[in-house]
Amino acid sequence: MRQPSPTGNDVWADEVAATLRKRAESLAHEGVDEVTGVLVGLLLFRLGEEWYAVRVEDVREIYREYEITAIPCTPASILGVVNIRGEMVSVTDIAKLMGLGQFVPGSVTAPAVVIQNTEVVTAIVVDEIGDIIEVAEENIEPPLSIIDRVNAQFIVGSVYHHERLVGIVNANSVLVPIGSAK
Amino acid sequence: MVEFDRSAFISKFQEEAQDLLQRLNEDVIALEADPDSREILDRMLRDAHTLKGSSRMVGLLEISDIAHRLEDIMVKVASKEMPYTQPMSDYFFEALDAILYLADNGGKNADDLLDLEALQAKLTAAATGPQEQADAPPTAPVQQAPPSEDEPEKVATIEQQDEQSEAEDDQASENGTCVEVKRDDKLQAKVQQTIRVKTSQVDRLLNLISEVVISQIKEEQKLVELRQGVGELHQIWQTWVRIKAHLTSLDLDDEAMAILVEESSRMDAQLADRRRDQAALLKNFNEDIARASMVVADLQEQGMRIRMLPVSTVFQTFPRAMRDLARSFKKDVDLVIEGGDTELDKKVLEEINDPLIHIMRNAVDHGIEPLEQRIAAGKPPTGTIKMTAHQEGDRIVIEVADDGAGIDPAKVRAAAVRKGYISQNEAAAMSDREATYLIFERGFSTSSIITEISGRGVGMDVVREFIVEKLKGSLDVTTELGKGSVFRLTMPLTLAIIRALLLRVGDQVFALPTSSIEETLRVTPDEIISAEGREVIRRQRRTVPLVRLGDVLGVAHRGHEGKKIPIATIGFSGHRIGFIVDALVGEQQIVIKPLGSHLRKIDNVAGVTVLGAGEIVPILNVPDLMDWARSRSRQSHVAAEEKTRTGPPKVLICEDSFTTRELERSIFEAAGYEVEVAMDGAMGLARLQEGLKVDAVVTDVQMPNMTGFELTRAIKADPTLTRIPVIIVTSLERDEEKAEGVEAGADAYITKSVFNQDTLLDTVERLIR
Repeated sequence: MRQPSPTGNDVWADEVAATLRKRAESLAHEGVDEVTGVLVGLLLFRLGEEWYAVRVEDVREIYREYEITAIPCTPASILGVVNIRGEMVSVTDIAKLMGLGQFVPGSVTAPAVVIQNTEVVTAIVVDEIGDIIEVAEENIEPPLSIIDRVNAQFIVGSVYHHERLVGIVNANSVLVPIGSAK
Repeated sequence: MVEFDRSAFISKFQEEAQDLLQRLNEDVIALEADPDSREILDRMLRDAHTLKGSSRMVGLLEISDIAHRLEDIMVKVASKEMPYTQPMSDYFFEALDAILYLADNGGKNADDLLDLEALQAKLTAAATGPQEQADAPPTAPVQQAPPSEDEPEKVATIEQQDEQSEAEDDQASENGTCVEVKRDDKLQAKVQQTIRVKTSQVDRLLNLISEVVISQIKEEQKLVELRQGVGELHQIWQTWVRIKAHLTSLDLDDEAMAILVEESSRMDAQLADRRRDQAALLKNFNEDIARASMVVADLQEQGMRIRMLPVSTVFQTFPRAMRDLARSFKKDVDLVIEGGDTELDKKVLEEINDPLIHIMRNAVDHGIEPLEQRIAAGKPPTGTIKMTAHQEGDRIVIEVADDGAGIDPAKVRAAAVRKGYISQNEAAAMSDREATYLIFERGFSTSSIITEISGRGVGMDVVREFIVEKLKGSLDVTTELGKGSVFRLTMPLTLAIIRALLLRVGDQVFALPTSSIEETLRVTPDEIISAEGREVIRRQRRTVPLVRLGDVLGVAHRGHEGKKIPIATIGFSGHRIGFIVDALVGEQQIVIKPLGSHLRKIDNVAGVTVLGAGEIVPILNVPDLMDWARSRSRQSHVAAEEKTRTGPPKVLICEDSFTTRELERSIFEAAGYEVEVAMDGAMGLARLQEGLKVDAVVTDVQMPNMTGFELTRAIKADPTLTRIPVIIVTSLERDEEKAEGVEAGADAYITKSVFNQDTLLDTVERLIR
């Protein structure tokens, strides 16, 4: 459903290699760093072939069985709403929102992560829910724009977990009210 | 005029006073710990001042007196004229308790329980300074609480006292401290009567209640299924009885027969058991459901009632508003209010104030005639506007009736044609009633000139749109020339539940508020006529354009069943549009739910509802639908119009006063306008005739060389300039002068006495749009 990540442009290849080396180094020291730093809890989830995460404090609940009702005249990234214990919660196609392709309708079993800030709640549809991990804050690196195809505003940083690069999603950039300007 | 009723305000005051007193009590304690805290001192001063002001407003003068003295003390303490001392706390507490007692008793010193004079003497003494304070009269023997440290604690714990402590109080009263005790008693009773709850909490509760209602409906559906099951079981039983009858006629040997008899009697027993069990289950379930449905219905009603308030809470302020309106229009108008105790959802109440004020203003401005006209028509010189509220089924109706001139359909037609809303032919084809409804047309005003009070910005169209969109209601008008008009506002009892028509487009069901549907019909394809590239049908001698609902919503149609095409026609702002759907499903009550915090405003969708089976159905937003449908037909037209104006709008200011000119210039420049100026009318006209292109002319009246009126006439007489709106800004505010402005052809007339930059900018923006 999604194209694999295109490899970096030649011009930037060296820089990429350098950054990756740096990351590998920091990965090697991971055990040491974890003890000293402030720990950040992350919930991992998969979109297509890639892994992303949101901070656990932004997560309200995980929802597995639901029925989406489409709402007309909404942006393409809004799949509709679900009824969570009487509360209407919008369902956001986060892959589409971040420019990663599109949630494939029909895969209704895809779990949804309900994220919220003080103003907005939405459920983001993901392909698979992963572990909850804790990483030291200093191990979180700035996003690599060349590797991350995702629109930069949605990613606040990246971290390595089990030799996988995990992009940390900025929940506040997803939790923007729609149509509030009017 | 209507008697000013204070009782509604007293309860508001009591609520406010409770908060203020609570905070003052807390602050006295805080101040003891930190006597120099600026923040606390300021807050106490402010609270005492507020208490004084609001108690005076509602006529509770005794409270006001005490609060006034507290304020005096606080002023001196806050300005460091005197220090805050321990005894002051005691006086404060005593005074606060007295106020609380008075507030709870509607300001009456019931049974003379309080020695107010002594209290005030003490407070006055405290306020006059430390010297006198030392000589303060000894505390009155009975009313005075002992100046003890535990006093604050007492205040704090009053609310928690239970019946047991009440018994103790009774005992205590026998020991002679009756005043203190009775006062506490009173406080306790008050605390139990009302609590203040955040509306968001109530909303959450109501939300959960509606979930309960939905699951109750589901249970009832299950009951139906169970009943069917029992019926089927009975059929199985009957079949079995028939089979058994046939068994005996079978030709079998004894052994086989014995087995068959044994098996069939086992089957008999099993079936009988099953039937008995199922019947019992059905009976129990039925009873449970019946009981639950009563409770749920009660729960729903009581839940809704939490938010209900009498409309008088809004109506109370109208006599005053009416007085001001009547004065500003120089008319004599009486306001009669009826049905103030009709109850309405608080959310609706919060929203109806502005529309009602606007309708009232409209009635005073356009409805009630000037005095001479009334006398000439043989009417009482004082006009009457009657506002009534009553309930009709699940709806609330508020009517605003005036005994004024009524709406002249001929004038409305003429104005609509002049403004290009309808053609001469259309106007002629309209019935008087239809013509009257043109006043709800967007931007419509029969008044040929904008004055600062009416006809500016907000028209009846906005009022009606608001009522339909926000309140899910409708606004209608009936009028009789020379007798007056009645504006009839119909709203659902609560915003949470409305009647809606369910209709289907493609695979999805949508709900449309019934209040805005004119009719539903099924037409054969040959009834649909193509006219000017659009599909229309003829209804009651009117042409109704058709729009496919799916096109507006971006949902694919799947086609209708049968030969006839289902259509729902909506009437809104004087327009009728028929929406083609795939099926009309039916009408029912629905619970409105918002779309959630993420989807704040979605075009065409007002919210959702959850049907019995848990199915979510979007509720359509009628004003949006009509806008979309109408803009579709005018798209090309509008696009062409918008292209003609590029860059910032430009105004020409003609004004001989330097100060006013520069003031106006800065107002317009700050709002992003380009500004040209002229010192008088002649100079302004010359610049225009030289080819200066502006979007509006703002002019003074009294100027050398050429007055504003003369300038206006010249502009309006020149075919190349006549389209430029002219706004007269002047200190002349007599009606004759306004009339001269109108006669000269000015588009707006703003008097300097009410001049402010918003008025000016709004007016200009509206005119150049």
